[in-house]
Amino acid sequence: MSGETGVATGGLVDPRLLEILVCPVTKGPLRYDRERGELVSEKAGLAYPIRDGIPVMLPEEARKLD
Amino acid sequence: MAESLTRLAAPAKRAHLPGMAGPDAMQVFDRRLVRRRRERAAATVEKVAPILEDCADRLLDRLDDTTRRFARALDLGGRGVVAPRLTARGIPFVVSADLAPSMAARAGGLPVAADEEFLPFAPGSFDLIVASVSLHWVNDLPGALLQIRRALAPDGLFLASLPGLGTLQPLREALAEAETGLRGGISPRVSPFPDLRDAAALLQRAGFALPVADAEEVPVAYRSALGLFADLRAAGETNAVLARDGRIPPRALLPMAAAALPQGPEGMAPGLRLLMLTAWAPHESQQKPARPGSATHRLADALGTVERKAGERPGG
Repeated sequence: MSGETGVATGGLVDPRLLEILVCPVTKGPLRYDRERGELVSEKAGLAYPIRDGIPVMLPEEARKLD
Repeated sequence: MAESLTRLAAPAKRAHLPGMAGPDAMQVFDRRLVRRRRERAAATVEKVAPILEDCADRLLDRLDDTTRRFARALDLGGRGVVAPRLTARGIPFVVSADLAPSMAARAGGLPVAADEEFLPFAPGSFDLIVASVSLHWVNDLPGALLQIRRALAPDGLFLASLPGLGTLQPLREALAEAETGLRGGISPRVSPFPDLRDAAALLQRAGFALPVADAEEVPVAYRSALGLFADLRAAGETNAVLARDGRIPPRALLPMAAAALPQGPEGMAPGLRLLMLTAWAPHESQQKPARPGSATHRLADALGTVERKAGERPGG
């Protein structure tokens, strides 16, 4: 896992927090994209940004997936 | 306050006015504006820390009434005074959520930017959720309470305080009177606040068990109305009602309203009536009413009397 050693984009998020976060729209699971510093909800088609280590779980701030 | 805040505010979108048909008919508050206010207030909220701390202490006193130990807490909109208190009480895992990322960052727990109307937490994530003076800018309070209940594990505790009916009432009246005199009409400049009874009913509706709601007057006084306006701004609590008047208010509005505010010996009391809500996520261990017809003993036997059928008259 090469991604484990690199510094996460957007800052580090506590793993205990990642464990309980879900998509605010669908309440479905999120995939942590370390490279982009995003939490991805495939079901909602949204990627929530992580800024300065803060997951920004606001639908209006999320990037729409193609 | 009202003058500068209205100037900063974007004009209200007419399509979103409450009372109009459409999907936004129930929207009372401009959530984007609430978020901007909180973003900005992150740098100034320290100034009103004593009031927020007083409110938080009053709410967290409720924790002393239970012998339960909590391990996973969520601080919703605590603005820097709630999470440190939860940590000080020995709770090892505290998450701080706020609509504004900058406010979440200084709240004291693990920060998350989240909307109370779209909570991003898996079911049963917490055994304690605390919302100290933070749910009064939510449009869909029943929906937010439902999501809070779901984010709690069974037998988890929810503590919330929010300004109730009567809060800022002197200011509401003074502004209305001044504006009527100047413009011949009024626009909403102070948020609508819920009544105690509404709050209790909402908890029940959201599926909480053992809901309790009571009210506390928090003694706050200002030497002048300007001090109150400055504090409201510092806390990010200025007008975000969608139906607010987007025009610049008349120059004389604030001085007129300020002059009309009643002054007591302690100064000007704006009225802060906090509704305190306590409720639990349902669990089978909790006391609940027995099912009708499940009694094993007759009430008449316990009372040592003769049971009479309905409609039957004594001696008749």
